[in-house]
Amino acid sequence: MLALTVANLKMMARNRQTTFWALFFPLIFVVVFGLFDFTAGSASEVAVIDLDETTASRQLVSSLREIEIVSLQEPPASLETGRQMIDEGNLDFLIEIPSGFGAAMDGGRGSQASANGSEETGFRPVTLVLGTGNEERSQLLTGILRQLTDSIVLGVRGDELPTTVVTQQVNTREVAYFDLVLLGLVGMGIMAHSIISIAVRISNYRNMSILKRMLVTPLAIWKFFAAEVAAQLALALVQAAVILAVGTLVFDARLTGNVLHMLPVIVLGSLVFLNIGFILSAWANSPAAASGMGNVITFPMMFFAGTFFSTSALPWLLPYAADALPLAPMIAALREIGLEGATILDVWPEMAWLAGWVAATALVAVRVFRFS
Amino acid sequence: MSEAIRVEGLVKRFGSFTAVDNISFGVKEGEIFGILGPNGAGKTTTLEIIEGLQKPTEGNVSVLGGDVRRESARIKSLIGVQLQSSAYFNYLTLQEILKLLGSFYPRRLSPGELLDLVGLADRGKSRVDQLSIGQRQRFTVAASLVNDPRLVILDEPTTGLDPRARRNLWDLIREIHARQVTVVLTTHYMEEAELLCQRLAIMDHGRIVATDTPDNLINRIETTYTVKLQTESPLTGYQCKNLQKTAVLQETGLDDEESDSPSSTYLLRLDKTPEALNSTLDSIVRSEVSVKHLEIRPATLEDVFLELTGNELRD
Repeated sequence: MLALTVANLKMMARNRQTTFWALFFPLIFVVVFGLFDFTAGSASEVAVIDLDETTASRQLVSSLREIEIVSLQEPPASLETGRQMIDEGNLDFLIEIPSGFGAAMDGGRGSQASANGSEETGFRPVTLVLGTGNEERSQLLTGILRQLTDSIVLGVRGDELPTTVVTQQVNTREVAYFDLVLLGLVGMGIMAHSIISIAVRISNYRNMSILKRMLVTPLAIWKFFAAEVAAQLALALVQAAVILAVGTLVFDARLTGNVLHMLPVIVLGSLVFLNIGFILSAWANSPAAASGMGNVITFPMMFFAGTFFSTSALPWLLPYAADALPLAPMIAALREIGLEGATILDVWPEMAWLAGWVAATALVAVRVFRFS
Repeated sequence: MSEAIRVEGLVKRFGSFTAVDNISFGVKEGEIFGILGPNGAGKTTTLEIIEGLQKPTEGNVSVLGGDVRRESARIKSLIGVQLQSSAYFNYLTLQEILKLLGSFYPRRLSPGELLDLVGLADRGKSRVDQLSIGQRQRFTVAASLVNDPRLVILDEPTTGLDPRARRNLWDLIREIHARQVTVVLTTHYMEEAELLCQRLAIMDHGRIVATDTPDNLINRIETTYTVKLQTESPLTGYQCKNLQKTAVLQETGLDDEESDSPSSTYLLRLDKTPEALNSTLDSIVRSEVSVKHLEIRPATLEDVFLELTGNELRD
């Protein structure tokens, strides 16, 4: 069996074109997502806590609403919950308009104000709480907020400006979108390669009567398949290592977890996809058909299992269906381990779900498989 | 002499289709045994049952003293098999394939020795797709010898080969035979069956119609001469009638249909007697047949096949 596994790896290494493209196709995505910042164009989630509730404060809020890159959220219950939301990455910015913001302006009409004249006039600046990630956006928003407040204050007071905006920084455990995608791509790459490559190989072997040729030797046929699986698993690990290496070394992805804990996840996930590949090879009449069927399965799964986008926004029951796909728990487990520092024990629900998929697909594969 | 293969009352049905219809035969140890028959006669199915690839519906098959149903693993390790149209791994060299196949067997020959035997010693580092069709076929024979088997089963080993490559392969099979290996092969080439095989089973529609040496098969048929007659124009009814008095007349339709010449070719099968030959030639002259070409040859396996099955054997 070892001899067969080695022979399989040799064949894959020599069949450079197929193996390379199948294996490193996800790298294209790594590069694309690494080079483009897909978050740059989207609006920042901003919440405003208006403790003042005067004309002036409402004017500020409505001006903010008109800013294109600002997406106003429901205000959190308190400043503290807001900070926590930023910390967890559920909110980008929090603005607090202090009570007396408007009153201070009215009251201070015509009076002299120095740069730090808040005490003198009773004026208190607006607070902007921001996270540590995405510095550009923070600067931009600080500027916008300052301008808006300034113009309101200026319109009312018509004299020298006090400091209108102070910023506070919250240290976020920031998970960049790219990091999420990178781990999604590890799962996707293994899925696509495992399914398509095994389906095509076995279908090819059947067409060339190689399976039959194996059957007339005394080799126990399970060993033939075990060697096929072993070679594919080895390849899946190489694939994961290369994708993670390119992502972290070239595109500065930050993985906080222990990568070794990903091994069992990758192995279980690969087994599911290899089983699916075996099933497809039984249905396909030619290697080309096997490849086509493989694409039909892998493409929707790639998107529905949340490689690139969260699936929670899907309509109806689809989010649940998406989570049930074998790729979803695999990617979820990889993300928990890679980004949140979870251990393999922490991701047991995902592992259990994957194990269920392994068993179910194996059962079907054994039932439908044919040698000629 | 003990038997390498014993087939007794073998039946194989696929649904309502009977591929092998109650056949019995034996293969003696150390002989080259051929199964001759047209495509679809059930040759491959019979071999696949012997090889353990398919289960018999009825009947018993024993190979090297063991029942194929119960001792499949032991039999597989003792026999060598060349499948019809079986290819090998594309991305391994010949040596690597032979080494890999050898690793499945307890007893094996070295890749170098095998390649030497089939005349591919200098191609060990090539891949299968770099070989000519003849070389490829010789390689699959080498692959069937990887376990130094006592019995080799070759399914249509020369199909698709040009005449020279076919003769090379015959020499190779004789060499294997000289190593005390029993050889079973299927073919639909008469010449191959006649020149290569020591004994033959003629198979048609799932049945074995005769089993004997090629010479005995030829000798026992009624006709000994065949006259091949090519005429300038088709025979008239009168001419046919005259010829049919002493011979079995058959129009072959082998002539080039695209050419304008209305020439036709006929086969006349005669009785064993010289008188039959005389009177047939006489009829040709007397009924003024416009002879373009005439050929008299002794009976061949082809005639045997025709007589036994009523069909011509076609490629």
